[in-house]
Amino acid sequence: MTQAEIKLCSLLLQEHFGEIVEKIGVHLIRTGSQPLRVIAHDTGTSLDQVKKALCVLIQHNLVIYQVHKRGVVEYEAQCSRVLRMLRYPRYIYTAKTLYSDTGELIVEELLLNGKMTMSAVVKKVADRLTETMEDGKTMDYAEVSNTFVRLADTHFVQRCPLVPATENSDSGPPPPAPTLVISEKDMYLVPKLSLIGKGKRRRSSEEDATGEPKAKRPKHTADNKEPIPDDGIYWQADLDRFHQHFRDQAIVSAVANRMDQTSSEIVRTMLRMSEITTSSSAPFTQPLSSNEIFRSLPVGYNISKQVLDQYLTLLADDPLEFVGKSGDSGGGMYVINLHKALGSLATATLESVVQERFGSRCARIFRLVLQKKHLEQKQVEDFAMIPAKEAKDMLYKMLSENFISLQEIPKTPDHAPSRTFYLYTVNILSAARMLLHRCYKSIANLIERRQFETKENKRLLEKSQRVEAIIASMQATGAEEAQLQEIEEMITAPERQQLETLKRNVNKLDASEIQVDETIFLLESYIESTMKRQ
Amino acid sequence: MAGNKGRGRAAYTFNIEAVGFSRGEKLPDAVLKPPPLFPDADYKPVPLRTGEGEDYMLALKQELRETMKRMPYFMETPEEKQDIERYSKRYMKVYKEEWIPDWRRLPREMMPTKKCKKAGPKSKKAKEAGKGTSLTNTADVLKKIEELEKRGDGEKSDEENEEKEGSKEKGKEGEEEEEDDAAEQEEYDEEEQEEENDYINSYFEDGDDFGADSDDNMDEATY
Repeated sequence: MTQAEIKLCSLLLQEHFGEIVEKIGVHLIRTGSQPLRVIAHDTGTSLDQVKKALCVLIQHNLVIYQVHKRGVVEYEAQCSRVLRMLRYPRYIYTAKTLYSDTGELIVEELLLNGKMTMSAVVKKVADRLTETMEDGKTMDYAEVSNTFVRLADTHFVQRCPLVPATENSDSGPPPPAPTLVISEKDMYLVPKLSLIGKGKRRRSSEEDATGEPKAKRPKHTADNKEPIPDDGIYWQADLDRFHQHFRDQAIVSAVANRMDQTSSEIVRTMLRMSEITTSSSAPFTQPLSSNEIFRSLPVGYNISKQVLDQYLTLLADDPLEFVGKSGDSGGGMYVINLHKALGSLATATLESVVQERFGSRCARIFRLVLQKKHLEQKQVEDFAMIPAKEAKDMLYKMLSENFISLQEIPKTPDHAPSRTFYLYTVNILSAARMLLHRCYKSIANLIERRQFETKENKRLLEKSQRVEAIIASMQATGAEEAQLQEIEEMITAPERQQLETLKRNVNKLDASEIQVDETIFLLESYIESTMKRQ
Repeated sequence: MAGNKGRGRAAYTFNIEAVGFSRGEKLPDAVLKPPPLFPDADYKPVPLRTGEGEDYMLALKQELRETMKRMPYFMETPEEKQDIERYSKRYMKVYKEEWIPDWRRLPREMMPTKKCKKAGPKSKKAKEAGKGTSLTNTADVLKKIEELEKRGDGEKSDEENEEKEGSKEKGKEGEEEEEDDAAEQEEYDEEEQEEENDYINSYFEDGDDFGADSDDNMDEATY
């Protein structure tokens, strides 16, 4: 765990769960797994607060526990899972694009609460949707429940490990902690629930303001007393499945950029066909015959079988090797080389970072070294066709920033510089790691800057919130236009301007966080996939 | 290279021209300070991507951040009390719904706070009740309660108790008092004194107990 990662974890925990949880979480990340008493002692926090903080962290799957010998329970933080909190907006947005508003709210609730039972999710989402609907309309539980089933079928949500049902026949003392088990086949099995009912509205002031008589609102029977049918079966968002989706999207858009829309559509079809059958960490998709691909192409996509075969041959011949040919049976078997694709995407990211940081001529040298694998300094100067002095300068700059590495090959055992080859090379894996580390640092810096900006303008922000609240309440009571304007003028013009600037800055910082995280995703996927193959 | 030595330039074991310095050129000074905190960028960063998706994600992110603060999982640090309570503070308090974790999924040590909580007030109440009724014969009852608490044998009658207490006191206290006790027990009048003695004893013990009691109190205060 690098310092930059710990710093980022600390900022994220603090922003989402407050300072106490942050203290406990960071302590666990730093020290590894620890028992309860030791955590309380080392952090100087009261036992109760430690317990509550741990409950919060466990609820959100950020900490796991394990029973050791002699019944000691040790708690361990999941650092990489903490960093995933950066990506929450993207998960939610993806759910929206795939399963519309209902899907969005389901995933949002699961992420906000860590884990929930299906019945709780369905109720909550139906209530929330009902509140946004027009008066008199309500969201049916069954509809939300359908979307939930679809999310489970496509593996975007999964069951949490269960507490096994224990028979209390043995008289021995119960274990200090439950052992959670998950059965593979039940992972995505939705319990049979008969969720009947509709979303309920909160009696909000907005509604009263519209003057709707309360009797008009549909009445519901109180169904709170019933025992929960799916008690103990908790669900969580399967982040790996989301990552698989992001990866597929990145590959599709890369193909679209490199070739054309049609080829990207073919690749998209291939990826969709193997979505569920291929595990998210596999280096290749399952082989697919061209006939199968042809049958699965989206309806209304009018290309003939011949054209499809031509496209597939073209894709397989492409030097980037996104698509590979694995056999000739069934009109040709094709796979998508996921590992190669991630490698190409990571390399492209590195290239573009070099280009934006050091300029296009540096990027030329970088690509040259990348392509030729190992080059001596003299060769770099010659091949890049850049004056020797400038070329050296650029090469050294990239060397000192760790984008390019240097390999010494001594001719004699004494390593004398005059009798040694110095070969420049790009180690993509280590460069990717270095860049990833910088990304973590950038995001930590962005968050700190954002917090600083907000803190600086805290008083002003509070004031504007208060004024807005007053205006809202006055509108509700039907105040006159002049009165409202009077209150609005409580914020002076320069203050308004300051607020505008603040908002723009915060928006920019937030947007940067999201976009840096996309780079983080690419680099992490590449590193993970490379480490699995070694 | 040998020629360079005389003129004070450090001798390098390699040809300095290979790294881009022509003969006679001044080498850059050694850098003795850390790089600047905000270095100048040679190239301006490219603008951020914008679009419908990006805007929506931005809104989601900001909303999520606000929502998280209102969730029951957000643990606030107890802030120091200000001398003057601001009126607006009362309205800024956010309503949080209760969160009851599923204890079945958590290690047992996560929840014993509840048990203590229940045990605390109960025992205290029992004591208070005892104190209330014992206004007439405070010493006896208190003694009995302590006795019960200490040994856990609640079936003994008062007399037995007293006898035992007496014998125990003998062991406990100094020899002088033991003799005193023996002499005084015969006289009727002295019984009262003994009671007084007892009272003092129990008073001290009560003091001990009081300490324990206050412990209980403290426990409760933290919850």
